[in-house]
Amino acid sequence: MAQPVPGDLSPVEAQLLRLADDEYVLAERYTEWQIYAPTPEADLALANIAQDEFGHARLWFDLLQDEFGYEEADLLWERDPGNFLHSPLVELETPDGDWADTVVRSYLYDVAERLRLDALADSSFDPLADRVRKVQSEEGYHREHAQSWLDRLTGGGGDAHQRVQSAVDRLFPHALTLFAPTANEDEIVAAGVRTRSLADVRADWLDEVVQYLESLDVVVPDPSAVTRPDEVGRDGSHTGDWAALHEEFTATYRELGFDDPATLRSENA
Amino acid sequence: MIWEVFRQEEAGDRHTHCGNVHAPDREMALLFAQIQHGRRMQTNSLWVAPSDEIGEVDADETEFGGTTDKSYRWAITYNQIDASFAEEVAESEAEQEEAAEKRGDV
Repeated sequence: MAQPVPGDLSPVEAQLLRLADDEYVLAERYTEWQIYAPTPEADLALANIAQDEFGHARLWFDLLQDEFGYEEADLLWERDPGNFLHSPLVELETPDGDWADTVVRSYLYDVAERLRLDALADSSFDPLADRVRKVQSEEGYHREHAQSWLDRLTGGGGDAHQRVQSAVDRLFPHALTLFAPTANEDEIVAAGVRTRSLADVRADWLDEVVQYLESLDVVVPDPSAVTRPDEVGRDGSHTGDWAALHEEFTATYRELGFDDPATLRSENA
Repeated sequence: MIWEVFRQEEAGDRHTHCGNVHAPDREMALLFAQIQHGRRMQTNSLWVAPSDEIGEVDADETEFGGTTDKSYRWAITYNQIDASFAEEVAESEAEQEEAAEKRGDV
């Protein structure tokens, strides 16, 4: 089976890949905080969230394998980096040691995630709808986690507040790509794979995100005035940060040398 | 700030001390405790309490149970019957006997 190619997917495949790739790549970025997070408690909480997101990615990748005949290697280890459909928001490198960046990204993403899961709960594709509920129950913690941190980072003013503002300024334009369409967006809605259009979901997201962030004295850029990045992810276009991350998470797969696999207690081990 | 964490396995069970978390306030303590103490063990409920708010008295400061023979206090009213018909009576007797033995009263 060939690997998925952005312009050549059924509506269900495109929707599943958007979901799976977002979750997988974000989890990769979260994982980079291991042993570096501000406190052991913060470390464990974020590691747990990363595990949740990997678990969700697994649900969607499994469906792509079960229903569309892909192999795991087609979907992850051997897929061309230009055939991934995640939003660039989740692939951006974290500025060195900037916890506020991770918290803001998580907040912007997790609100969008809740809204999109709501829009998939009544999907015409039953296996997708069935799995949405499992995911929804774990996502509540993620939003609470992000908002609890945001409340505290902005509450004391000073440097932390400024870092949150900088992260919002930097990430917001990329967050808008969460709602960028794949090639067959119209079919996705027409076939009832998702019951709401991306434009509707985006409008709700904006209302919620702007209202909350402004309540923390954080200024949210005007979406219509924002300079849009060229890379929108959903068509396979990605920022420069993606190539390095892709290289890194596929490194072990390549190094293992599957043509000549090592087995325990054998010559190659 | 350190928060002591108490975990209840099932509804109706006692909350048992299981460790602590560092957190700036109660809300964050609850958030962290869920992961640190409620993720791997069966958990129905968690309590958190500021470490500073917990009072302690230990065996260096007091003689728990006193120093004299208190076996007359045992709740053994009917010596000739099998107490197993009432679990709580049997348990209470066993507990008191064990405590008395540990103190060296018997």
